[in-house]
Amino acid sequence: MKKSRRRFIKQAGCALGMATLATQVHHFGLINALAQKVDDRRRKSGSLGTGYKALVCVFLGGGNDGNNMIVPNHNSGSISNYSVYSAARSPQGLAIPQGQLLPISVPRMGGLSYGLHPSMGPVVGGNNGLHELWGQGKLAFATNIGTLVSPMTKAQYQNNSVSKPYQLFSHLDQVYQFQAGRSDTFSFTGWGGRVSDEMTSGSNPNGLVPMITSIDGSQLFTSGQSTQALAIADSNTPLNEVLNPIGFEDDPISQARLQAFNEIRAIDRENNYVEAASAITDSALEANDALASYQEVTVTFPNTAIGRQLKQVARIIKKQPDLNVDRQIFYVERGGFDTHNNQVGGQANNLGEVSQAVRAFYDEMVVQGRSSDVTTFMMTDFGRTMNPAGAGGSVGSDHGWSNHLFVLGDAVDGGDFYGINTSNGTPFPNLTIDGPDDATNNSANARGRWIPTASVEQYAATLARWYGLEEQDLPVVFPNIGSFSSTDLGFML
Amino acid sequence: MSGTTRSPITTCAAFLVLSLLVVQATAQIFPDPNSPSPVLIHAFDNVNRAMAAPGGSKTVEMPADKSAAFRIGDTARLFVKNVELMPGEGASAFRVYARDENKRIYRFPVIGIEEVAGKTPVYALTVKVRDEIGFWEQPSETGDVEIIVTWRGLSSNSLLFGLGTFGGLKPENPALETKEVQELASPEYVGYRWSGDRIRFLEQATFGPNRSLDHRIRRIGIRTWLAEQFDLPYPSSSNPYPNIPLKPNNIQTGCPEPRGTPEYNLCVRTHYTMYPVQTWFFKEAFYGEPQLRHRVAWALSQLWVTSAPTVRQSSHMFAYHKVLSDNAFGNYRTLMKEMTLNPAMGDYLDMARSTKFSPNENYAREILQLFSIGLFRMNQDGTLELDENDEPIPTYDQETVNNFTKVFTGWTFCNVGCPNSTLGAVNFKDPLVLNQNNHDVTEKTLLQYPNAVNPTIAAGMNGNTEIDLALDNIFYHPNLGPFVGRFLIQHLVTSDPTPAYIGRVAAAFNNNGSGVRGDMKAVIRAILLDPEARGDVKTDPNFGKLREPVQLLTNVYRQFGVTSADGSGQSDGYITPLSTYMSQNPFAAPTVFNYYPPNYVIPGTALLAPEFGLMNTGTSIARTNIGTFLSFAAIEVDNRNPPNYPQGTAIDLDEMTAVAAADPTAERLLDELDYKLMHDTMSASMRASILNAVLAVPVDAPDFRVRTALFLIASSSQYQIQR
Repeated sequence: MKKSRRRFIKQAGCALGMATLATQVHHFGLINALAQKVDDRRRKSGSLGTGYKALVCVFLGGGNDGNNMIVPNHNSGSISNYSVYSAARSPQGLAIPQGQLLPISVPRMGGLSYGLHPSMGPVVGGNNGLHELWGQGKLAFATNIGTLVSPMTKAQYQNNSVSKPYQLFSHLDQVYQFQAGRSDTFSFTGWGGRVSDEMTSGSNPNGLVPMITSIDGSQLFTSGQSTQALAIADSNTPLNEVLNPIGFEDDPISQARLQAFNEIRAIDRENNYVEAASAITDSALEANDALASYQEVTVTFPNTAIGRQLKQVARIIKKQPDLNVDRQIFYVERGGFDTHNNQVGGQANNLGEVSQAVRAFYDEMVVQGRSSDVTTFMMTDFGRTMNPAGAGGSVGSDHGWSNHLFVLGDAVDGGDFYGINTSNGTPFPNLTIDGPDDATNNSANARGRWIPTASVEQYAATLARWYGLEEQDLPVVFPNIGSFSSTDLGFML
Repeated sequence: MSGTTRSPITTCAAFLVLSLLVVQATAQIFPDPNSPSPVLIHAFDNVNRAMAAPGGSKTVEMPADKSAAFRIGDTARLFVKNVELMPGEGASAFRVYARDENKRIYRFPVIGIEEVAGKTPVYALTVKVRDEIGFWEQPSETGDVEIIVTWRGLSSNSLLFGLGTFGGLKPENPALETKEVQELASPEYVGYRWSGDRIRFLEQATFGPNRSLDHRIRRIGIRTWLAEQFDLPYPSSSNPYPNIPLKPNNIQTGCPEPRGTPEYNLCVRTHYTMYPVQTWFFKEAFYGEPQLRHRVAWALSQLWVTSAPTVRQSSHMFAYHKVLSDNAFGNYRTLMKEMTLNPAMGDYLDMARSTKFSPNENYAREILQLFSIGLFRMNQDGTLELDENDEPIPTYDQETVNNFTKVFTGWTFCNVGCPNSTLGAVNFKDPLVLNQNNHDVTEKTLLQYPNAVNPTIAAGMNGNTEIDLALDNIFYHPNLGPFVGRFLIQHLVTSDPTPAYIGRVAAAFNNNGSGVRGDMKAVIRAILLDPEARGDVKTDPNFGKLREPVQLLTNVYRQFGVTSADGSGQSDGYITPLSTYMSQNPFAAPTVFNYYPPNYVIPGTALLAPEFGLMNTGTSIARTNIGTFLSFAAIEVDNRNPPNYPQGTAIDLDEMTAVAAADPTAERLLDELDYKLMHDTMSASMRASILNAVLAVPVDAPDFRVRTALFLIASSSQYQIQR
């Protein structure tokens, strides 16, 4: 006889909110089960805009091909022009036709024209994308950025006279280094987490939520020694449900169960794994109280993974007066950029999603009056080889080194390239395979992997300083920053 | 085993002999899996302080005077007793942890072990008084820290140890001399008596213990059970691999219009989604006899990763899974070859389109980094080999990747002339085939290591020959044993095994006892029979692993007789949404780096814990909610056409409900659940909390009592950490 469960459901229905559960069972909609409840209580907006700042990291997982995100759109004879690019990539079918590029004029490059990937423009049924923000001075690129232990020339790369980042071209290691903000050794913490460690006592004294929130799980970037990020689901789950345990009602039986649930979490912590798991649940339940209500955003976000992640970020920023935190760091990620194959369509799709989602987020920040307070910046694994991998319809590219990274917001000195000069006297590399900026020991195997001229630390320090990290704390957060001449690439106003 | 004393001395002598023989024979078949718990010896003058002597002196003896305080960088000798070392077992089997007043945890490297002269069995552990983890700065020299010694997953007592000076810390467990192994209250055992170890073993070797497996282990022991499992046909005869035909890449071509009809949806689901793979997988996990092979194949699928939706068709994934399961008990070298030529892998990591004209580095890089040897040279015990500057030594560089890339050029799908070649579809069933014209025949330089096998490949060779030469070059690399060994230990037993454990498993990988390298049966046996894996209870605070979502689900389902929603038959195996809700979508890992990297460290700690890559604030609540779902709800029958879950999935709590109904105190219910889910390790305070909640439920609702208790256990960290 298997009636006990049904009988139980009948008996226990009221006590447990079983109807809700049963619905969830039927539709498997644990995530979406409950209708979105928007709290429409009016928020006091007295503290809005008073010194709030947020950094939003958009991680392009897999290693976005920067060589196709920014392409020379000129015929200059002195630095790599479209022909150099085309010669390296068009035979295999990886070059973007010049006519499709979205032109940008770059003061730092003597006013020469460069072109953005065509997916970064307007989309029918969407928004105008990131390209338009260049012209408005809201979008900048930090160029030729990558992992470095200290500055390095090609000769130094070849003769090993300067330490290299450990395990170049390996995904995991390069992601760790980008997120850690150091490349000389393994780090248990990320640079976002360390910034938060330094600033939490002053800028998030109440600690209703941690200073850092990830909408893409646990990340090294978000982990400090004392800072552990909140990690929550994307906007498919209403903010008031992302950390809400189901099935607990007000009746005594339910409350007794809840009490036991809480008691059990507080004991048996001698085992370090039990301790870690219980501590994570503790912080989830603390934050759940702070997220009990929220207001929906105004702008329509694309219904993509990255769009939903950024929408959730926008909801939290909108809730800032309640959360009583002056500084916040967010992490979102779009994977799929490891385009060893099918890059032409794949990168266009991925980068298009990023462009649309980040633009929607920027527009929402304008609506919220936060566009000067919130700076969105890109990170990724590494760049990709100039020389394609494969050919024809499935052409892609392999793991490279330096890359170009977008930064946007009203606090950004947009409409220009920022970085440290390469061999050609500009911060944009010479695109010649086996040329002066190509990291290779062996001409026969040269693929066009550009040696970075500005380090992750320099890029990150520029952002962290804007965020409010004190000058004297820079070496605490970036232990290796002293190896580099400048700690400010200049892209923040 | 207590020898039953028969009072009449006149008992027939023959009977005595016979019974002794029986006792002895049983002992031989089923050795006690429990190791003794190490005891850290206290100072003569203070029972709360560890006896400690400066390291370095030639004579090893226990100091008769007061123990000293130490400075960071000193060496010190600590003294342990109550350990029994196997041949070859030494310093690397021990770890020494220190905890300061801020609860920060440090680990002091154990660099030597000596038997104290004349005092058997007391051992002097020589430790470097310096944290080797590196999460925190070195501990301050401002007074006492608490130290413990761990060995084989067991913790010693905790004693004070002076850093710089004495004082400043009160011992938490003053002068606790030994932690006794729990006496077990199951006198009715038949054979393999250690009930805690039985359940623990089944958690490691299967998708979850249940009564029938528990009984079987009790009867035949774990060694015989392993031998049985090695010989079972796979998959179960009632759940064969579905034979799904290859389809065109394009769904619109593969499934006839009109779209949206039940026929169309069924066609898409069958061919172009992982639905058939996932339901087949969970059915085998729920009901299959060959549990061990299924479990090891699942672990291997997280090593040699391919994933949907890049792998587009279920038939492609089945062909890939078959390579894993065919070789789970075979030889790792064969697995390497068959996986290298598996079309799903060839597509996933691009080898199937890499030619000498336009090579692709992806597979060459990842087979080295992820599937075989890793980035840095290791000793046999998995510790890093260091150069003269104490820096790790890379196993290869970009040039090596370029050379392996050349080896792997020229392979492609066998779309014509192979057994499964299908007009209009890419052949993802038969191994890739070589087109020598696309193969790079230049000379290659491969991995360099002492006594390297095939360190170079001469120019002008056939690609078929080269692939074997190159795979042998990888296969004989000294890293392979510890790399594969650690990975499988982490997936089956514990997240941060000692070097000694890894070394023993690597030794089995290197030589199965008959001179064969790469014998997976030997590796699995070594992992599951190791004293660090075995025993009724593990007390080392760093022992254990988070149950991955799939294991969390199958362990609960299996222990409570998983059935269809109405209880009349079997589940249809469709529980994917529950797993995905906890961020693990089976056969759809986000990238080739799996759901979590093997070296994942829990943020804010120095704890190595791969599965915690899926544990964060959001998913911790998801796990709680799944506890609620499993305990209080079921997957009801799906009435759509076609139904994704035509039978539904539920657990059967009738037996537990009867127990609860028969005992209003609920003590027996707690006994049963403690045994089934936590192998009798539930603490008294946890039990008390659960009892309070259970007793709040009216006695005439025993089913509700069971569900309340089940929820509180299943959602607890104490259960979610497999120990």
